[in-house]
Amino acid sequence: MVRRIAVLAAVFVVIGGLFWAGWYNHHQRQLAMQRVQDRITTLTKNSPEEANSGAPDGMGDTLKGKVAPGFTLVDLNGKKVSLAQFKGHPVVVNFWATWCGPCKLEMPWFEEMNQKYKDKGLVILGLSQDTGTDVAEIAKSAKKIGVTYEILQPDDNIAKLYGGVDYLPETFYVDGKGMIAVTSAGAPTKDEIEANVKKIL
Amino acid sequence: MQGIGSKEQGTGRSLRLLAAAVLVCGALQAQQIDMGAKKPAGRDHVELLSDAVDVAAGKTQDVELRFRVDPGFHINSHTPMDEFLIPTKLTLDGAGVKVVSEEYPAGVKFKLPIGEGTILDVYQGEFRVMLRVVAPKGATTLSGMLRYQACDNAACFPPRTLGVKVTVNGR
Repeated sequence: MVRRIAVLAAVFVVIGGLFWAGWYNHHQRQLAMQRVQDRITTLTKNSPEEANSGAPDGMGDTLKGKVAPGFTLVDLNGKKVSLAQFKGHPVVVNFWATWCGPCKLEMPWFEEMNQKYKDKGLVILGLSQDTGTDVAEIAKSAKKIGVTYEILQPDDNIAKLYGGVDYLPETFYVDGKGMIAVTSAGAPTKDEIEANVKKIL
Repeated sequence: MQGIGSKEQGTGRSLRLLAAAVLVCGALQAQQIDMGAKKPAGRDHVELLSDAVDVAAGKTQDVELRFRVDPGFHINSHTPMDEFLIPTKLTLDGAGVKVVSEEYPAGVKFKLPIGEGTILDVYQGEFRVMLRVVAPKGATTLSGMLRYQACDNAACFPPRTLGVKVTVNGR
């Protein structure tokens, strides 16, 4: 009788252990999946839709609703251009690079917005991230892409002010009051770009 | 007698149940260990798979360096189609192992799914750079750097360099 009770007790303990192991494993799987999901949304944008779904990650997103960090950079002709000189204008601050394929696909759309909403005061600034690249090369690339808006020479310190800009493209839509209304990481669709532009007009 | 037999049968069933439970527990635990052992995708998005090769000492030999690009990412091939894109390039130190030549694999055509898209020439998944080397007898380290620039479908990461270290055993 005692032996039977002992065996039954052991069975209950093992079954309890089985439930615990099952729950623990399920919990660990959930955590692992969450970690993988976090990594995907943090480091990769697998499609334009995903890229623009929700807010971008990193420090850049924390700038939404805040005053856009000021900067003074040099354009491709050597002329100084500062964000402050466009006070009262809606401004699109777009970080790009000559080596970034998605950037070069969205830039013609910014040019289109530039032409379409010029009368409403829209300003587009393309901040090159080609550190160490000859200015002539940046100019050549911009010409090939077909943009006529201001392209500004690289300065890593400005990217740091905008959250580090870990990957490209990253875009900040600044309203007439100098506040960042929308942030976007990765190349979105043309319609999404236009919708974002309309938010700051 | 029947009572004893039935008690023994009951105990036997309990023991079989216990054994089954232990086996299931073991399986669950093993699955968990497997999950924990998975290596997370690196932020560099490219890793070197080769760590050591055996070659005949003093003779010109072919050596493959195997690399892997993280799933969902691509890097430009050695000969990208756009002059502004950064080609994947291996730079090896001359010390120890003499590298006679390097041969890069052909890239695959990849269309960026943004707007009308653009066709790129890229490496995805595993790719191999073929080297012709002459190694001395014994173990020598072949070292260098792989420069590349990784993107996914909608965004690009700045150019990076990956340290390359492979032990070449000349026999």
